[in-house]
Amino acid sequence: MRSPNAAAWLWLLRKEWRELLVSRSGWMLLVLMGPLTGASFIAAMRSYAEISGVNGGLAGVGEAMAPLIGVWAPTFSACELAAVFLLPFVAIRMVGADRQSGALKLELQRNISPFARMGAKVAVALAGWLIAMLPPASALLLWKSYGGTLYAPELLTLAGGHVLNAALTIALGAAAAAVTEHPSTAAIATLGVTVGTWMIHYFAALQGGLWERAAAFTPAAIIGDFQHGLLRLNAVLVAVLLTLAGLAIAAIWQRLGVRTWRRGAASLLVTFGAAVAIFGAAQVRPSWDLSESRGNSFPAADEQALRGLREPLKIVAHLAPEDPRRTDLERSAFGKLRRLMPNLEIEYQSATSTGLFEQSNAGYGEIWYLYQGRQQMSRVTTADGVLESIYEIAQVQLPGDVPETVFRGHPLAVLPAGASTVFYGLWPGLTLLSGILIRRQLQQSPR
Amino acid sequence: MPILQVQQLSKRFGKIAALDDVSFAVQPGEVLGLIGPNGAGKSTLFDCLAGLLPHDGGRVLGPQLRPAVPADLLFYVPDGIVPWPEQPLRWVLDFGVGFFGGVAGQRDEVVAELDLTNFLDQPLGALSKGQRKRGLLALGLLAPQPLLLIDEPLDGLDLRQMRDVAGVLRKHAAAGRTLFLSIHQIGDAARFCDRFVLLSGGQVRGEGTIAELAAVARARHPERAFTDLEEVFLALT
Repeated sequence: MRSPNAAAWLWLLRKEWRELLVSRSGWMLLVLMGPLTGASFIAAMRSYAEISGVNGGLAGVGEAMAPLIGVWAPTFSACELAAVFLLPFVAIRMVGADRQSGALKLELQRNISPFARMGAKVAVALAGWLIAMLPPASALLLWKSYGGTLYAPELLTLAGGHVLNAALTIALGAAAAAVTEHPSTAAIATLGVTVGTWMIHYFAALQGGLWERAAAFTPAAIIGDFQHGLLRLNAVLVAVLLTLAGLAIAAIWQRLGVRTWRRGAASLLVTFGAAVAIFGAAQVRPSWDLSESRGNSFPAADEQALRGLREPLKIVAHLAPEDPRRTDLERSAFGKLRRLMPNLEIEYQSATSTGLFEQSNAGYGEIWYLYQGRQQMSRVTTADGVLESIYEIAQVQLPGDVPETVFRGHPLAVLPAGASTVFYGLWPGLTLLSGILIRRQLQQSPR
Repeated sequence: MPILQVQQLSKRFGKIAALDDVSFAVQPGEVLGLIGPNGAGKSTLFDCLAGLLPHDGGRVLGPQLRPAVPADLLFYVPDGIVPWPEQPLRWVLDFGVGFFGGVAGQRDEVVAELDLTNFLDQPLGALSKGQRKRGLLALGLLAPQPLLLIDEPLDGLDLRQMRDVAGVLRKHAAAGRTLFLSIHQIGDAARFCDRFVLLSGGQVRGEGTIAELAAVARARHPERAFTDLEEVFLALT
């Protein structure tokens, strides 16, 4: 037998589900997901096919092509677009409509935790989001029908990343809708936060330092990792903590009977607690490279050799934040090193943000490696060059050629036949029809 | 023993005192009318009693003079709301019964009493003002709490509907439900409330039956005769 509160919560869940099914914003999101996914998938497929050798391209060029990077990251980027520009409005409607219609005044009279109320909303919003992810999921079926291969771990990582990003967006929209009086103010606040994260990236690119560290935990950066098949535990924890904090703030501000200053104080407490927890979570190191290409990792032999370096390794790179060599270094080597070596310290030094006028300075472009009192300088920014410098200074023998499975890629020289019909015709048409029929049925029937 | 006792309740919005030292009692089984012009503080008072708005001072006591737990004691139907506007009335009432823990078996009876049978499959937002008001009254009557607060229960109803609704409310009061109704049309209130709380400018100007209030008014204005609630209200406010 269910407790009264559990029964009430289930009624809330049913109510939220029905409210989502009759909301135009929810159906609009579903309809638009088709064309958004279609545009990304078709463009990605065409490029992938060309590189793979369709229309007389050079055979073999596409051998290094990874479907994750070539097709799935761009295809699922439709989810990222929807999460930034569409999903917040669905979340804002879910929370704001109760206040606008007066339903909140009735629902608050049931002695049920505001966190439980918010939980029902989030559960339904996430269920709706999973449905919205059906177009990218159907792209997987199309790809398979073209003869493409799928690698489940990297795809699950990518999809999971977009679910996490959606949860974060829902929490942000819910908090904005609960704190502000009007949905339009909430929409502006939500977009303001999104623009704020873009500004963090901008400052990170210009100034590096703390901005760069903060930028690693913005939704765009977290999604970027998932798009490469990289599962960083600290990024997941930070996203979950931010989501929980947003939902807690939303729940706090829905308690109309509590004084504003008390709600403000509770929100500050949550914010402070979340900040401390996030700071701790950001220090967590474990990460997993779940990409088929292992593009986020060094070869296994190198990883084994690097794990053997127990002493602190310091690298000082004299490169400005906007210097493309710095980006190369991060992508090809430093990012991978950070995942492997707990005693690694990387420091960037530059006098300007672009580095354009530092090129002639003595020392600019140098990368210094310091290990056990020894130091060595190099200017090479490739992964092999970095590894070579580290082995030299650590006086470790270069790992020999260890036979391992080399990722050769999965070229697919096939154009996306039928994809336009699916994403521009079938999906929007069927969704629109379903929306009309379901709304009509729900508005006339209690079941 | 009152089912609800309000003691020196106050609420300010900045410099404006919406409620100023408000005190009165609600007796079990009565129909108590909260009478006052627009802006008197009626809705603010109900919001405070239902726990939807924090009050600045005073106490709200329940039975046995214990601090009232609004969710256990009362259900409040605010005025001017259109909750879940896209859901059909039938579902809204089922949700109300399920969520608030009302008695499902009473739904059909209340629906018939309020003449809502023909509107059950209409979304709440598509109903006329009067139909919607009756729908919300049904929601309130199906709630399990012993005390029902309704803000402007007669607003939007025509004369015949007003009489019918008044009859339904009286019937539920006779069955043991306590009703506390905020009404700004004094003539309407006089027709079916047992007692009255007169509220003006956020202050209680009188509490009692028409006869009791008329006696207070006569004491203040011995030269005048008070035959109805409107004159009493004008004399006391």
